Amino acid sequence: MKISQRALVTRPFWLIPLAVGLMVLVLPFLGIGAGILQVVISVALLALLVLGLNMTFGYGGELALGQSAIYGVGAYFAGYLATQKFDLSIGLLAAILAAAVIGLITAIPGIRLGAWSLAMVTLFLVLLFPNFVTLLPEFTGGQAGLSGIPLPVLFGVKLSATGFYVLVIGVTVLTFALFRNFVASRHGVALKVMRESPVLARSLGISVPRLKLTAYVLSALPAGVAGALFASQQGYLSHGSFGFQALIPIIAASVIGGSASIYGALIGAAIMVIGPLSTVGLQEYSLIFFGGLLLIAGLFFTGGLTSVANKFILAKFVDHRALAPDVEEVLRNPSALEHIDGKDMIASAITMDFGGNRALDGVNLETKPGQITVLIGPNGSGKTTLLNVISGFYRPTSGVVSIEGDAMEGKSAHRLAMAGVSRTFQTPVVPREMTAVDVVASARFSRSRTSIVATMLRMPSARRGQVNDRAEALRLLSLLGIAELADRPASDLPLGTRRLLEVARALAGDPAVVLLDEPASGLDENEVEALGDLIRALRDAGANIVIVEHNFEMIMGIADQVNVLHLGKIIASGPPSVVRDDPAVIESYLGKAARDLMTAGKEGAAS
Amino acid sequence: MILLWAGLAIGAVYALVAVGCNIVFIASGVFNFAQAYVLMIGSFTALISGAQLGLPLWAAIIFCAVVGALVGAVEEVVAIRRLSGKGADNELVTTLGFSVILSGIAFVIWGPNPLSVSYFAGQTAFDFLGGRIEFSDVLLILVSILVAGATGLFARKSIIGLAGLATAEDRAAAMLRGVNVKALSLGAFALGGALVAAGAPLVASKTLASYSLGDSIAVKVFVVLAIGGIGSQRGALVGGFAVGLVEVFSARYLGGDWAGISVFILLVIVLLVRPSGLFGQIKKRVV
Repeated sequence: MKISQRALVTRPFWLIPLAVGLMVLVLPFLGIGAGILQVVISVALLALLVLGLNMTFGYGGELALGQSAIYGVGAYFAGYLATQKFDLSIGLLAAILAAAVIGLITAIPGIRLGAWSLAMVTLFLVLLFPNFVTLLPEFTGGQAGLSGIPLPVLFGVKLSATGFYVLVIGVTVLTFALFRNFVASRHGVALKVMRESPVLARSLGISVPRLKLTAYVLSALPAGVAGALFASQQGYLSHGSFGFQALIPIIAASVIGGSASIYGALIGAAIMVIGPLSTVGLQEYSLIFFGGLLLIAGLFFTGGLTSVANKFILAKFVDHRALAPDVEEVLRNPSALEHIDGKDMIASAITMDFGGNRALDGVNLETKPGQITVLIGPNGSGKTTLLNVISGFYRPTSGVVSIEGDAMEGKSAHRLAMAGVSRTFQTPVVPREMTAVDVVASARFSRSRTSIVATMLRMPSARRGQVNDRAEALRLLSLLGIAELADRPASDLPLGTRRLLEVARALAGDPAVVLLDEPASGLDENEVEALGDLIRALRDAGANIVIVEHNFEMIMGIADQVNVLHLGKIIASGPPSVVRDDPAVIESYLGKAARDLMTAGKEGAAS
Repeated sequence: MILLWAGLAIGAVYALVAVGCNIVFIASGVFNFAQAYVLMIGSFTALISGAQLGLPLWAAIIFCAVVGALVGAVEEVVAIRRLSGKGADNELVTTLGFSVILSGIAFVIWGPNPLSVSYFAGQTAFDFLGGRIEFSDVLLILVSILVAGATGLFARKSIIGLAGLATAEDRAAAMLRGVNVKALSLGAFALGGALVAAGAPLVASKTLASYSLGDSIAVKVFVVLAIGGIGSQRGALVGGFAVGLVEVFSARYLGGDWAGISVFILLVIVLLVRPSGLFGQIKKRVV
């Protein structure tokens, strides 16, 4: 029997991993030997470390390599507190806090600078870990190691071996459930958007620094927890367990299981701990093997074993033509265009210099709801630059953009997006591994916030948010006549459809101004016509639409107001019929000779 | 004064590797994490040339350079070529992977313990400007200055160097102008590998040959590049000496464990205060 793609998400398939988790949890009561339980604990701890790496590297695309150092910090904090007779609950809490602090510190280079700096700073931190340990002998035991960590006491109760096992597995299951909820939520979608295109993320009102910060801190927490549990399990800590040598298996497990997945962390960890590499004879070759894994992962972007499993499930059990019930519903009753609450946009005296090159020179532009404003001009005349200024990607050298009278001076792109400026791109930016409906819903990230805690615990507010996101996205897809594609992978759609998808996304955030950057390029005649009808309908619904376009025919058909840019200045503006005959416009497009010819022809006709 | 010379000598090692990194970066826009690991392979090559083949120094240098060029070329083919044009920062992962493979190979062949290299053994040390310095250290410092100067000049003045700069700036445009981007990238990896490995007989007499040699150098070379500005040979030299001096002086006055930590602090300060480095330029990002 095959099910629809949507059903993979809506049906309670999460019960399967949960059931597996619970089964592992009760292993000691089934008479499983202590040796095997130790191995399971090792798998769980490694899985927690890999989980954090997958969050930043797999989902966020940020190579933060600090996991093994954070693991060590958590271990030493909890270990030291345990030697001082503190309860394990205090130790766990301290480890989590310490991990969060390290996550925050490593976030700074990652936010301010590029991927290289993040990778190197975190790697350096890992290499330095032994030095920090030997510098603080009164807490860490220095070179000799921290010994005498007593058996764990949780909430005043001394834990038996079985009790400790249940604690480790319970914590692991819980952590995985929380992270699974996180990546399945709009926050996870936002991470994916950021990985694929930070520019797109900003244009959707996602604050990239803030999201990175969230990701780094969150990804540090499981490592801290794992460290605290490791300290209790071992009873003795030496820095050799946490440096560079500890890092490589974490990366390898992530790659084997599939970096952009939650359960992949478990699979990868299990293979690393139980698999052939753990046998003594092969350890000599482990570096070569790990290196090879990294090389392959970097070259082919393989999704690890999870991706293999996913493909198998998609091929065997999923019918791509089967539609989800809500999609069928919206196909039966296509949604009507609701009122769009467009707002006035005024760009006044915008000047933009790039080095010595003046791309915009005192441009004034005023656009209104219920009106289609078109920017035309030869290549290099400053059209896209102007769009980038309006949407906050460039900070103008001088001049102010205001929305409904509010000056947006000095605000960055995501702020402007939150103020209602939404846009499409010359080449559609549609992230991979997302369904069409998710792509559209991603624009609602900044509109209705749901807290991270709420999403992790799947509280009612978070569920409601998700339901609303989907309903709204479906409504827009139906409006553009592509609702049946809702649960298809968006990046596989043809160019014309991806453009429509971008328009739907631009509408999803209740836009005050919609900026369309060459929406008709690459479309065939029919598609252009349909797009023209759509844009007119949006205008009539009250949208404030600004278009940069080269397709002259389309412009003349839909524009209310045409502005012609030439070398950074607006040389003509007015209704299409007026602008078309403006001598300055003809000259800028066709040259002076053409202008002379045409004006001469006109005079001849008049006389 | 002894400290000063020691700092400059160890800094010269970093500078040499950083110069190799810059050659690769200038020609292909890739930060090659594995550059330090080529030096590691070079140090074992020097070991073989001395202990097993009994080559004289000049022959050992040539032998090391050839091996280094080969390793560099293999890396380009295996870890870089398929990535080109894909964008993203995948070369971080692939060059890291290649580095770990090199370490693994060295571990399998030569085992975990550092081995000493015979060149410059039992050499004479002499007094110079109030500090005692070994002959090989003087040589090391001079060589790093010479190599940085020569390659910097080559990058800015020669047609191949300019083609490299153009490729790093805009790959597609360079291809359209008739630059053989593939050959250039391959050549840069080979040249960078050869230069770094050629220094190995000199370096390894100081650091010993060990499979983990690359680990300790690679990250510090990144610090050097962060200080000097990636792509600048002058910066590599200044940054290399700076890191070497900070390391030696903090180890002497603060304790051995502070050597790495001080360099780390230096890195963080540089990244926060001057992200483009001393001689680097920030590229303006465009939507």
